[in-house]
Amino acid sequence: MSQLTFQEAVIQGISEEMERDERIFHLGQDIGPIYNGAMHSAKGLGAKFGPRRIIQTPISESAMVGAGIGAALAGRRPIVQLMFAEFLGLGLTPLACDAAAMWYKSDGKVSVPLVIRVLYGAGPHRGHSEDYQAWVASVPGIKVAMPSTPRDAKGLMKAALRDNNPVVFFEHMALYHGARQEVPEDDYVVPLGAAEIKSEGSDVTIVATALMAQQSLKAAEQLRGEGISAEVVDPRSIVPMDVETVRRSVAKTRRLVVVSESWKTGDPLSDLTASIAEELAGEAPLKIARVGLQNTPRPFAMPLVRAAMPNVQTITEAVRRITESN
Amino acid sequence: MTPDANLLTSLYHLVAKGRVLESLLGKLPGFHPGVGEEGVVVGAFFGLKDSDYIAPHYRGALLAAHMRGADLRRLIAGVLGKVTSYSRGRVRGDICLPLQFNTLGMFSGVLGNPLNISTGIALAASLDEKQGVVVTSFGEGTSNLGAFHESLNLAACLALPIVYICQNNGYAMSTRTDYALKCTSIADRAQGYGMPGIRVEGNDVVAMHQAVQSAVARARAGEGPTLIDAVTYRISGHYSADPNDYQPKDERASWLKKDPLLLLKARLTAQGVMTDAQLAEIEKAAEAEITEAIAQAQADPDPGLEVLGPDDLYSPVLERVA
Ligand SMILES: Cc1ncc(C[n+]2csc(CCOP(=O)(O)OP(=O)(O)O)c2C)c(N)n1
Repeated sequence: MSQLTFQEAVIQGISEEMERDERIFHLGQDIGPIYNGAMHSAKGLGAKFGPRRIIQTPISESAMVGAGIGAALAGRRPIVQLMFAEFLGLGLTPLACDAAAMWYKSDGKVSVPLVIRVLYGAGPHRGHSEDYQAWVASVPGIKVAMPSTPRDAKGLMKAALRDNNPVVFFEHMALYHGARQEVPEDDYVVPLGAAEIKSEGSDVTIVATALMAQQSLKAAEQLRGEGISAEVVDPRSIVPMDVETVRRSVAKTRRLVVVSESWKTGDPLSDLTASIAEELAGEAPLKIARVGLQNTPRPFAMPLVRAAMPNVQTITEAVRRITESN
Repeated sequence: MTPDANLLTSLYHLVAKGRVLESLLGKLPGFHPGVGEEGVVVGAFFGLKDSDYIAPHYRGALLAAHMRGADLRRLIAGVLGKVTSYSRGRVRGDICLPLQFNTLGMFSGVLGNPLNISTGIALAASLDEKQGVVVTSFGEGTSNLGAFHESLNLAACLALPIVYICQNNGYAMSTRTDYALKCTSIADRAQGYGMPGIRVEGNDVVAMHQAVQSAVARARAGEGPTLIDAVTYRISGHYSADPNDYQPKDERASWLKKDPLLLLKARLTAQGVMTDAQLAEIEKAAEAEITEAIAQAQADPDPGLEVLGPDDLYSPVLERVA
């Protein structure tokens, strides 16, 4: 065990898998030993694996994603870093229209083991916070990981690199060089599609990923002082979504708050909410609240950024709103 | 280099077959035939190793896949969405090809994606160090997409073993090449990427084959990508129902004289490789083979609903996740 930051944990996961599997290589801009990737997202990899496995590209996101797909078709297991999730749109046609469809459309003959890494999220970087997670999560055939802790980040990265499908891996910038956590050195993975109950409770279920999972844990702590027992469920991957774990929790609490750093419109967690309502509404009263990014483009000034997105206060308010009356 | 009789004969078999295939499939609704462009297709993809990859332009894609060993009846069943096709009817077989023949097609209707993806196949080939190459083709209209620029630039930066062939048929739907491309030749664009750009008479299948083979040799030797502007003409409409009445009559008439099949036949008879009767024999055989394949594919059943899924959306995880 060692104490790692989120960024160190992701890189350790990549490094271990690259040592284990010769087929893995990493494409990206400025990921070599000179710059080590945006926000040090590839720190040490270039020095360790050299330019044949840590391959720097020009600014060509569409070709980078396409090249990752093509190399995957030819037997490699590429990682493509698009630097920021803001750039996902540039690579979306090859990823969403072609790669996502290949396994199904080829009738199970063509698979695309490809990991796309993106940084995102409101935090230390004064831009590039948009995640556009709905773009990738809404297309069947792409998996989407959104870890909230160093341990999950490493385990999910290892799972992504062993998966046979395109996986978009979101790395939150506010968590990136933040709190350290004990991260096992043995060969553990966190499967895609397995939620974790980060904090147990009986009155209300809060579902959130990444930074919002951390905020929800703080909110749960505060609510405990008020006598409200909140269960925080972190899906860890939004595709596949572990609806079952959430369903079990909500079946117990009958109250669901989903917290998203993304817009509520088209938010993948809204889909989850609909699935839960479909399954559980009607059995007994069910209360639901959604907390998300306000439906405007992301503002710039820090007070506006903070006010536009959920925080501990808006999460606790939402919880109180659906717990107070009964 | 003067081609030997064997090469000419092999090329003729393929061009003749391609002509029948494109003409007959062009009668099916929604098909985008490549009558007149067979010289480019055959010249581009003849003489490669099985381990090489190709990513052909959608126009002429079936001929290309068949050249790689794919079965005609099953390919045509793909056009018709029959269960006997390589995907059991899950993908449109007029533009998407079975990858097991190292032949990449379009898994969506988005032009340009195959340019990116084939560049990645070339990246894998360069990492494999087995001298594998990729030959990809695309329309001149497609060469106006960003994917073209990004792919060629990336391939040049990484010195990838790939040959980019522009199947320049003068039209993108109704848009003329001289309207949408302001360079004299697509080959001129190569200079901007620091790679050789070569303009070839695409209707001369021998010249086409030779130009591609020298670019392939260059790629195999690790010297990087080449761009070839293969100039041809779209004799068919854009797709089956296109009246194609926008091609100027004199332009069309002059290109009909340069029909790749006619040019090749003239060469074969002039060089005494084959007589008119032998040529006709081969054409007849091709017609019989393809007519039969179409009839069989048409008689093949539609997929049953067991093909629908949806439980097999994902490829199973490769290694067991502990
Ligand atoms: C990205 C994209 N834009 C537009 C289309 C619609 N479309 C289909 S074929 C075609 C013409 C393509 O021209 P070209 O690349 O020259 O090939 P050709 O059809 O002439 O063989 C167009 C515009 C498409 N399929 N994909």
